[in-house]
Amino acid sequence: MEEQIFEKRTDLSQLNAAVEQIKATLSTIVVGQQAMIELLIAGILADGHMLIEGVPGVAKTLTAKLIAKCVDARFSRIQFTPDLMPSDVLGTSVFNPKDASFEFRRGPIFGNVILVDEINRSPAKTQAALFEVMEERQVTMDGVTYKMEEPFVVLATQNPVEHEGTYRLPEAQLDRFLFKIEVRYPSLEEETAILAQQHQQKTTEQLQEVEPVLTAAQIMKFRKQVRELFVEPNILEFVAKIIHETRNNKSLFLGGSPRASLAIVNSAKAVAAIRGRDFVTPEDVIEVAPAVLRHRIMLTPDREMEGITPDEVVAQIIQKIEVPR
Amino acid sequence: MRILVFFFFLFAPFLASAGTGQKPLSKHVPLIIKADSSAVRARHFSEKEINEYKTSKDFDYSYNDAPGASLWDRFWKWFWHLFDGVNSKAIPGGFWKYLFLILGLSGLVYIVLKLMGMDALQLLTGKSKSIEIPYEESLENIHEISFDEEIERAVSNKNYRLAVRLLYLNCLKKLNDRGFINWQLDKTNAAYISEINHPDKQQQFKNLTLQFEYIWYGDFPVDGNGYQHVNNSFHDFNQRLS
Repeated sequence: MEEQIFEKRTDLSQLNAAVEQIKATLSTIVVGQQAMIELLIAGILADGHMLIEGVPGVAKTLTAKLIAKCVDARFSRIQFTPDLMPSDVLGTSVFNPKDASFEFRRGPIFGNVILVDEINRSPAKTQAALFEVMEERQVTMDGVTYKMEEPFVVLATQNPVEHEGTYRLPEAQLDRFLFKIEVRYPSLEEETAILAQQHQQKTTEQLQEVEPVLTAAQIMKFRKQVRELFVEPNILEFVAKIIHETRNNKSLFLGGSPRASLAIVNSAKAVAAIRGRDFVTPEDVIEVAPAVLRHRIMLTPDREMEGITPDEVVAQIIQKIEVPR
Repeated sequence: MRILVFFFFLFAPFLASAGTGQKPLSKHVPLIIKADSSAVRARHFSEKEINEYKTSKDFDYSYNDAPGASLWDRFWKWFWHLFDGVNSKAIPGGFWKYLFLILGLSGLVYIVLKLMGMDALQLLTGKSKSIEIPYEESLENIHEISFDEEIERAVSNKNYRLAVRLLYLNCLKKLNDRGFINWQLDKTNAAYISEINHPDKQQQFKNLTLQFEYIWYGDFPVDGNGYQHVNNSFHDFNQRLS
């Protein structure tokens, strides 16, 4: 957190204390992955859904479960399998013979923190079931609309699309995720620490002992504080320039949507709040831009063949735009 | 029923052979072949008519273009003809022919890749190349701003926020001129802080950056007294730089 030299306009002390507590709780079980943890917290504060991608065995699901455990709210887990049906996610109308009527049985999506594990193992039909609920926070079934209870956060995990038995998520659904967080392999030191921790059988015990840090009401309060943070007009223009460049860039087949611009601003605010500031700086924008854009932009086939990654294109775009000062 | 089916299949081969049993020939009849004694008359084809057929296009089945074939079809026909020629060794010329053909094919692939906007070398090396994106035109060049005049004007207009911004830009210019940083449009304040190798100067500049960020990005209100305090900090830092 940065040194306070000016009088505080927004009291972010409770938010910062809660963030530090979550980080401390997670760091006792998850070794390393600090960037992922910080982005996950920022995503929750920015009222977004998050997609965690990584090869099998890099603690994606464990981290998502821990984050969910840190929040004192209704948690549900949906394991996406190739034969999963939309009704298995959303719910279905069941005939009640007692009064000869249909009643709606709510599916596992009705909760506060939803862990969708291996999201890309289900076909497009099941993915489409998430469109309405992720964007509009509601489910419409048989002409009746059911509102989701706030906070509503979807934490989805997936293996890279090249892996066996996976489907590519539709662009419309990818756009609904605030961040795509890429989980890398741990460093040598981290790997050694993981082994030591496992050897002492700490992980399983500690996982059971994790106590909630945040309540649903606190999340809603912190989100309101984050929304009210100040963003200088030049920084808004900076964000707009980045997104505009993604739409005109020759390396990209699909650029960022206006939802992407909003996502950058909202998540930059969350990062600023985590740093103890009540205003956004260009560094906050640059920090969140790759996670916001990497799943929303699409490379042209020739660039893809050349081995260029979306992160490289985003970095190059940002590099060429003047930092507002 | 099953037993009946079993017996049916068991005796079926015998029944079949019984049905097709041929009776032996009762009597041997000798074969008599009559000799053909009719006169043989030789017939000759007309050479003229054969030549007419040979020259007629209707009977020419060689690599002639079908009527109405497009230029594109003719090109591919020619291309595959060449290819067939190489395979069947119908094209004479040995080494040079092959070399010429390989060069031709490579040239064709290169042109196609160029038209698609791809770098052929990139495909072979597998390295990603940097993408050229023109810099956004900067509205200001810190080397062209007359800082003293602009700061004075901002202060006289009581626009202290702008004055602090100009103080910071001036500070960046001085750091760049003295080789502490390498000023570039895309660099963030944090990047400049990390570029300064001198620990004391780095810490001082960090404090100044914090003041600038709170006032400029954070829109924190600054009055005449506040500005004077900030101005003194910048002045002190600039003095130490020189």
